[in-house]
Amino acid sequence: MSQPILTVEGVDSGYGEVQVLDDLSLTLEEGEIACLVGPNGAGKSTVLKTVFGMLEPWTGSVRLGDREIGGMAPEDIVRIGVGYVPQTENVFGSLTIDENLRMGGVARDGGLEEVVTELYDRFPILDEKRTAKAKTLSGGQRQVLAFARALVMEPDVLLIDEPSAGLAPNTAAEVFEDVVTVNELGTSILMVEQNAREGLGISDRGFVLDQGSVEFEGDAASLLDDPEVSRLYLGGESRH
Amino acid sequence: MAQILQYLANGLVYSSIIILGSIGLSLVYSIADFANFAHGDTMTVGAYGAFVAFGLFGGMGGSLLGLPLGFYVSLLVGMALAAAIAVLTHLAVYEPLDTDSIGLLITSIGVAFVYRASLMGVFGTDFLQYDITRSGPIPFLLENFDVAITQRDVAIVVSAAVLVGSLHFLLQRTTLGRKMRATADNPDLARVSGIRTDRVILVMWVIGSALAAAGGVFLALYSQLDPRIGFGILLVVFAAVIVGGIGSVYGAMLGGLLIGMIHELTPLLGDVGIPIGTAYAPAIAFVIMVAVLLVKPRGIAGDLT
Repeated sequence: MSQPILTVEGVDSGYGEVQVLDDLSLTLEEGEIACLVGPNGAGKSTVLKTVFGMLEPWTGSVRLGDREIGGMAPEDIVRIGVGYVPQTENVFGSLTIDENLRMGGVARDGGLEEVVTELYDRFPILDEKRTAKAKTLSGGQRQVLAFARALVMEPDVLLIDEPSAGLAPNTAAEVFEDVVTVNELGTSILMVEQNAREGLGISDRGFVLDQGSVEFEGDAASLLDDPEVSRLYLGGESRH
Repeated sequence: MAQILQYLANGLVYSSIIILGSIGLSLVYSIADFANFAHGDTMTVGAYGAFVAFGLFGGMGGSLLGLPLGFYVSLLVGMALAAAIAVLTHLAVYEPLDTDSIGLLITSIGVAFVYRASLMGVFGTDFLQYDITRSGPIPFLLENFDVAITQRDVAIVVSAAVLVGSLHFLLQRTTLGRKMRATADNPDLARVSGIRTDRVILVMWVIGSALAAAGGVFLALYSQLDPRIGFGILLVVFAAVIVGGIGSVYGAMLGGLLIGMIHELTPLLGDVGIPIGTAYAPAIAFVIMVAVLLVKPRGIAGDLT
C-alpha cells in the first residue's frame, strides 16, 4: 500500500487541561472517504481540530504525506492542501455567498475566478443566490456553501465535521451526495458523522472512536456488518 | 424654523465627531472583542499630534474650506500618530495578555490613564487652540436661511464624510475590507479560510484609531484642546455604539448620527417650554439609548450586519 495522504499517530490532545484524545492513531489513504463514528464525547471533532491546527497535539504526530503538520496554524495548513468544514458556524453569515467563496480563496496564488466559476456551475443554488447574505440560506444550502468555501482552495484533503447535523433526512442525503461528488473529483475526505450508518454508507473505511481512542477500524462495509460494532455503536443489530 | 435648522446643523457637526469616534470603538469590539476605554484618549492623542504638527506645517500656503492646507496635513499626522500608538499598545499590552474581555477592558482603562497622564506631563492641563483664525458664519446661509454655519463646520462634516465614505469603500469593495468583515463575523472560520487574522487585527487598530484621531482633531477644532476632551466624550461615543448595535460599523455610524443629533437638539426642549437645560444633553442621549434598547435590544443595526 502506498503512503497514506494523512497520518495521525499516537496523538494525545484536548482543551486546556482536559484530555480528549488518548494515543489516537488513524490514516487516510489517497482518494478515499474515511468516516469517524462513535458516541458523543468520543473525540471525533477533536480529531479534526487537532489535524487542522485548531488544537495542538500534546504528543504524537500528524503528517500530511511525510510532512509533519502537528501544531501548525490553520491559516498555514490551509495553504498546503488541507481544507476544513466546521460543524457549526461554518459560513460567514453577514457576507454574501460570493464574498464567502472569495474568502475561501484568500490564500490562493491565482486562478480564483476560474475556480469560483466552476463551483457556481457545480452548485447552481449558490449561483442563484450570489448576492444574498449567507445567513438567509436554509440549513442544506448553508452546508453546500460551507463545502464550496473549503473547495475554493482545491484541497487534497478535506476534513468535514458532521455534514448532516441539523438537516432533514432528505437534505442530509443530498449533502452526502455532494460529499461523494467532491471525493470523485479527487479530494480525499476524512469525515465525522453522527449518523453512523449513513456516514459509513458512503465511506470506504471507518473508524469507531470511544473515549479518545480508535476501538474498531476497517472497511466501512465490514464495520456495518460487524455485530459488536452494530450493537455498541450503531444503535442496534447489523443490517443483515 | 430657522432655529431648528440651526440645531440640525450643529447636530450634523457634532454627529460627525461622534461617528468618527464610534467606528473605531465598534471595530475594536467586533474584532478584538473588548470595550476599549482608551479609545477616547486615543482621540486626544490624535488631537495633540495634530496640534504639534500644525506648529510645523501651519504656515503652508493655501486653504480649503476656510482651513489652511497645513491643517489637513496635520490632521493626517495626528491620525498616523494615533494609529502607530494604538498598534504599539496592541503589540506591547493587549496581545501578550492572556485574559478575557473583562480583563482587557480593565487594562484599557489603565492604558487610558497612561495616555492622558503622558499628554498632561508634556503639554500641561491648560486649554489650547489650533492657531487658526475663526471666521464668522457663511454670509449666504445667514442671509437666506438665518442659519449660522461656519466654513469650519462645513470642513468638519465634509472631512468626516470623506473618511467614512472611504471606509465604506474599503469594507465593501476591497479584499482587505472583506477580510475585516469576515474576521469580525467569525474569527475561527476566518483562520480556517486562510485569513491571517493577526494582520487583520493590526489593520483594524490602524483604521479605528486613525478615525478616532480625526474625531479628536475635529472636536478640538470645534471647541478647544485639553487632555480630557477624549475621555469626556467617550461615554457619549459608547452610547452611540451601543444604540447602533455594538460591533456593527454601520450601526456605529447610525448611532453616532442619532446620538449627536439628540445631543444638539436638546435646546429645543427649552424652546417649547420644557425646563430641561442643555447641560442635560448627554443624559438625554442616554435616555434615548435606553429607550431604543428596550425596543431593539441588539441596537438599531444589531441584526443588519
